Amino acid sequence: MKKSSSPNTNLTRRHFLGLMGSTAAASMLPWDPLLAQTASGILRVRFGSDIGNLDPAKIFLIENQTVAGHLYNGLVKYDQKTNNIVPDLASSWEISADGTVYVFKLKSGVTFHKGFGPLTSDDVKFSFERVLDPKGGSAYRGQFAAIKSIETPDPLTLKITTTAPAAGLLHKLTAFNQGWIVSRKAVTEIGDKYSMQPIGTGPFVFDKWTPGNEARVIANKDYFEGAPGVNEVIFRVIKDETAAAIAIENREIDIFFALQQPDMIARMRKTKGVVVTERLANSTINLVLNTTIKPLDDVRVRRAMAHAINRKALIDGYFKGTKNEASTVLTPAFVEYSDDVAKYPYDPAKAKALLKEAGLGSGFKFVITSVGLSPYDKIPVPIAEDLKDIGIDASIQVLERAAYQQARSKGEIQSCITGLVGPPDPDSPLVSLYSTKSFPPGLNTSRYDKVDDLLEKAATTTDAAARKAVYQEILKRTASDQPVIPLYQDRLFLAHTDAVQGLVQNSLFTMQSYGVSLKG
Amino acid sequence: MFAHVGRTLLRLIVTGVGIVSVAFFLMRTIPGDPAAYMLGDYATKESISALRAKLGLDQPLWRQYTLFLSNAASGNLGTSVVTGQPALQEVMASIPSSAVLAVSGLLIAILIGLPLGIICAVRQGTWIDVGVMLGALAGISFPVFWMGLAAILIFSYWIPIFPALGSSNAKDMLTQIHHLILPALVLGISIAAYIARLTRSAMLEVLSQDYIRVARAMGVSERRIIFKLALRNAMVPILAVIGVTFAWSFGNAILIEAVFSRPGLGSMLLKAILARDYQLVQAGVLILAFMVVLINASLDLTYTLIDPRLKAA
Repeated sequence: MKKSSSPNTNLTRRHFLGLMGSTAAASMLPWDPLLAQTASGILRVRFGSDIGNLDPAKIFLIENQTVAGHLYNGLVKYDQKTNNIVPDLASSWEISADGTVYVFKLKSGVTFHKGFGPLTSDDVKFSFERVLDPKGGSAYRGQFAAIKSIETPDPLTLKITTTAPAAGLLHKLTAFNQGWIVSRKAVTEIGDKYSMQPIGTGPFVFDKWTPGNEARVIANKDYFEGAPGVNEVIFRVIKDETAAAIAIENREIDIFFALQQPDMIARMRKTKGVVVTERLANSTINLVLNTTIKPLDDVRVRRAMAHAINRKALIDGYFKGTKNEASTVLTPAFVEYSDDVAKYPYDPAKAKALLKEAGLGSGFKFVITSVGLSPYDKIPVPIAEDLKDIGIDASIQVLERAAYQQARSKGEIQSCITGLVGPPDPDSPLVSLYSTKSFPPGLNTSRYDKVDDLLEKAATTTDAAARKAVYQEILKRTASDQPVIPLYQDRLFLAHTDAVQGLVQNSLFTMQSYGVSLKG
Repeated sequence: MFAHVGRTLLRLIVTGVGIVSVAFFLMRTIPGDPAAYMLGDYATKESISALRAKLGLDQPLWRQYTLFLSNAASGNLGTSVVTGQPALQEVMASIPSSAVLAVSGLLIAILIGLPLGIICAVRQGTWIDVGVMLGALAGISFPVFWMGLAAILIFSYWIPIFPALGSSNAKDMLTQIHHLILPALVLGISIAAYIARLTRSAMLEVLSQDYIRVARAMGVSERRIIFKLALRNAMVPILAVIGVTFAWSFGNAILIEAVFSRPGLGSMLLKAILARDYQLVQAGVLILAFMVVLINASLDLTYTLIDPRLKAA
């Protein structure tokens, strides 16, 4: 009884005040966006920052990736719920026994948006080759390092040959970043402006971008898996989370994407008519230690630091329990996850003993470098305090993003806080953080070099079970060596109004409106 | 008149070249690389250097500078590194929204500030004067982003009569105005405080002049003294300040745009600086500088309308 009556009073109050306002302004407007807008099938999603580049070869940042996910398909894709690799543009594929030849059969009758014609294997070849082209400057060239050649025996068949057995190749070809398929005709004709005039095969067609304000995509009625449940999606830039919370409470938006602040999560949970969903991310936030700088080259020092950090206090205190403790850089969202590794529970006495053993009983100077983005600028604070407790003279240096990137890739900083956002491909965090060939050149900031052999072995082991065993070996060795101290597993939060139906939250930090409908 | 236009043009060119040069070198002295920023965490060394070459960032600084100046002279301000769109086009697209906010904010400021200033000057020392000046002090002291957040909390949350989002892409004019009211009010109030204080002191100075005393002695009505004799003379410094605040309101607009999630020149510039989008920053700064110079030049013209003596000068 009470449940049903209170939203009513709320509405009446708003109507009343709206009426008051409109009397003053001579009946200015029908201030009821809820009824006015949801009825016409427009889904309004809050974005924390503006988009700027929708070219798959150069795309990054979750906002760009979210919009691109509405526009493009890949040969294969991650199932949003399970993270299993399932068909997308390819109807089937075969992998040769030695794991070096992949043959994909494409679905027929798939067409590009805005009259750019049918999808053929030549478009797929073009999409991958422009990423591989050294002159193209794609950020994801390293992802395709295993590819030797791409052939198109007929318009619906694609054959990829690799230099060595490439067990992880399917992960690199999923519908994300470099795996998204563009139209040769569109990219060639549109040229430099392609990045904001994208053409894909996906469930939504790019309509309009208003810089700093919003991006609009409209339903692709001819989508090969059926038309979407909404006519239009508006991605609205609202930087401040408080403003976004008020906006969803006023029904000015339908989905609060990238809900992060613990206080806002609690507030959204208490708001009537708003549903909060959450999902464990395939991402961890880590304190990366530079193993080439003394005394961090000593494993005892790194272990001492791991023991000194009170992760539970960080999670319960700052994050109010909205994160999970981590012991490896993979999370249970990865099929390859394992918890069977060395752990470093909070134990300042043991940490002090380890430091003493390393001959550093009087501590040393230590700087945590971090980027000036929430929460990366806040988590070094309790960590520095914890380290001070065991006698390490810890200080914090927060840089804005571009300067941080530069400092990190120079490799002269003692440590940094790194969170990797990527697909649920185990190579994504493991190669980036631990390989000397780390394709994001600055991300192996620890300069660690002890698992190159295992990473190589994982890449060439085609048997799934054996491959999983290799990954677990990597997790064990890196946990023992602690070049990277995992701090917590990220959990992703979304809030949406109860009008939003069928939304599936993924573990990738992005959001997909295909499958979503609005209750009138 | 022609001399005036000529002088304005010359000032426009000198200011333009100067400010753009400052922006050019300042942007390049802050650490960070546009190519690395644009490509994100997964960029390889080769892809970064390929992009740097494509953007011409591998050239020596003096070459980049001369190339930029010669291109700018022919009206080509380059393309945005991030979006690939012409920088000038992106800047121009962000101006209407900022201009609407700045103009409506300024109008509100004048409507509030000028009458309050006059009342305070006329009723100097009374409780009205003290109260308004205290209020003005508060208006100056509270940062606009704080006022913006407070306004959202009060008028879109506690008493939800205005939307929390300060802009709308709706075609319908009334909806747009409805979204504009809160941000414009906040901007207007922050500027009104300055205008009120200045109007008061300018009026007080004029009112203490001998000719006002003579006018009073001759029995000229108080209304005529205030509006015809005093205000007109006080207008020159007030106009000068309005000119300055207009430029300044574009600066404040950055904060207001952020709080109210409004697009505009301010938020575009901020985004461009963070992304080290050199071309976009340069184009934005150049256009902003031109606008300030033009506004000041047109104000110079209005001075002569108010005070004929300035025509000769």
